[in-house]
Amino acid sequence: MSRWFRFLIAVAVGIGLGLLYGWVLSPVEYVDTTPETLRADYRADYVLMVAESYQSERDISLAMERLTFLGFSPPLELVEDAMAYAVQKGFAPADLGLLRTLNDALIVATSVGGSNQP
Amino acid sequence: MNDERGSWYLLTGLLLGIGLGLLYAWVVSPAEFVDTPPFSLREDYKDRYRAAIAAAYVASGDVQRAQARLSLLEDDDPSLALVAQAQRYLANGQDLLDAQAMADLASALGQAPTPLPTRPEETATFTATSLPSDTPSATPLPSATPTETPLPDTMMTTTVSVTLAVTARPTQTLTLTRTPGPTPTPSLTPTLTPSTTPTATLAPPFVLDNRVEVCNPLIGESQIQVFVSNAAGVGIPGVEVIVLWQAGEEHFYTGLKPDIDPGYADFVMQPETTYTLQVSDGGQVIPDLVAPACTDTGDKQYWGSWRLVFSHP
Repeated sequence: MSRWFRFLIAVAVGIGLGLLYGWVLSPVEYVDTTPETLRADYRADYVLMVAESYQSERDISLAMERLTFLGFSPPLELVEDAMAYAVQKGFAPADLGLLRTLNDALIVATSVGGSNQP
Repeated sequence: MNDERGSWYLLTGLLLGIGLGLLYAWVVSPAEFVDTPPFSLREDYKDRYRAAIAAAYVASGDVQRAQARLSLLEDDDPSLALVAQAQRYLANGQDLLDAQAMADLASALGQAPTPLPTRPEETATFTATSLPSDTPSATPLPSATPTETPLPDTMMTTTVSVTLAVTARPTQTLTLTRTPGPTPTPSLTPTLTPSTTPTATLAPPFVLDNRVEVCNPLIGESQIQVFVSNAAGVGIPGVEVIVLWQAGEEHFYTGLKPDIDPGYADFVMQPETTYTLQVSDGGQVIPDLVAPACTDTGDKQYWGSWRLVFSHP
C-alpha cells in the first residue's frame, strides 16, 4: 500500500473524526432560537392560539401584533400557511373554523387598511 | 516522501482530515436552525409564547389544552413560570391583561388536581387533537366536534376522545390601573386597582381554614401571611389576593416565594392600621386585621403577624 494511499486513508479518517465531533460528540444545541425556526406544527399551533384569542377579543390589530412573533411574513400569509397545514393534517373542524375566522378578518383588515376591524 | 520520514505523514493526514471535517460541518454546511421546538426559544420569545398560551386559555377556558401547550416550553414548574412572568409584567408595567391571563391560567393549573365541579348542561364530549410533540403523548387538545380528527403524520402523538367539563367564562372587561404606592409598603407587587367583571371560576371560592397569630421576632416585620391551597392541600400559585385599608388597596398574587410554598404570599402591615383581606374570585372576606402586639422573652414588645390559610371547601 503506497504512502499516498495511506495518507488519503488518514485524511478520510480525520474527516470522519471531524464530522463525528461536529455532529455527534459536540452536536449543535438548539438554544436561544427564534420563532421563525419553529417547526411547522408548532407554528400552526401558535397561529391557532392567536385565532382562539381573536375569537374572544375580536381585536384584529392585537392578533396581527401577536402574529409578528412568527417573523416578518405578512400575517395573512402566516394564517394561510397555518390553514394549509391544518387542512393537510386534519385539524378538528372547530379549529379550522377559528383559523378561517381569523383569516377572513385579516383579509378584511388588510384590504381596507384598517386595524381595528371587529 | 521517503521511508525516513516515519509515520508523521499519517498524523498530518489525520489532522488535515479533521480540519476538513470541521470546515465542512461548521462552515461549508453549517447547522441550520430549522424545525426547532418551543423549549429552545430564547427566553423573551418563550415569554411571548407563554403569554399567547394564557391569552388563548382565557378565550377558550380550555385548561388541558393550555397545560399541553405549556409542556412544550419544558418549564420546571409551568405554574410558577406563569406567576413569575405575570409578576415581571406587573413590575415592568407591561401588558396588564396578559399578566392577568397568566395569573388566571396559573390559578387554573393549581386547581387542576381538585375535582372540578361540573354543570351537566355545559358538559360536552370532545374529540381531541394532539399537540405537536417530539415524543409520544396523550395530552389532548380538545375541540368541540363529534368527529374524529385524523392524526397528523409527522406528530408522534395519539388521538384520544375525552369528556371534559367546561365552565363558560364571560368576556373579561378588566380595567387595571396603577395607583401611587400607599404609605404602608407592601412587600410584593406594584399596586393595581382593578375594576373587574367577575369571571366564572372552575372551583368554589376560597374560604378561611385557619387564622393564626404569629409572634416571631425573627420575621422582623409585621406581615399578613397568606397560604392558598386546593382541596387536596396543594398550594396554588397565581391566586390574586386583595388587601384593603382606609388609605389604600393592594393586589398581589401567590407564588412569588415558592421556597415557602407555591400558594404563599405576604403583605407588610403597618402597626395600628386595620386591614381587610380577600382572596379573589369571591373568596371569604377577612376583616379587622390589625398587627397583634407580641412580647419577646425580654418583655420587649414588637408587632406580630397573621397567618391566614385558605382553601377550597
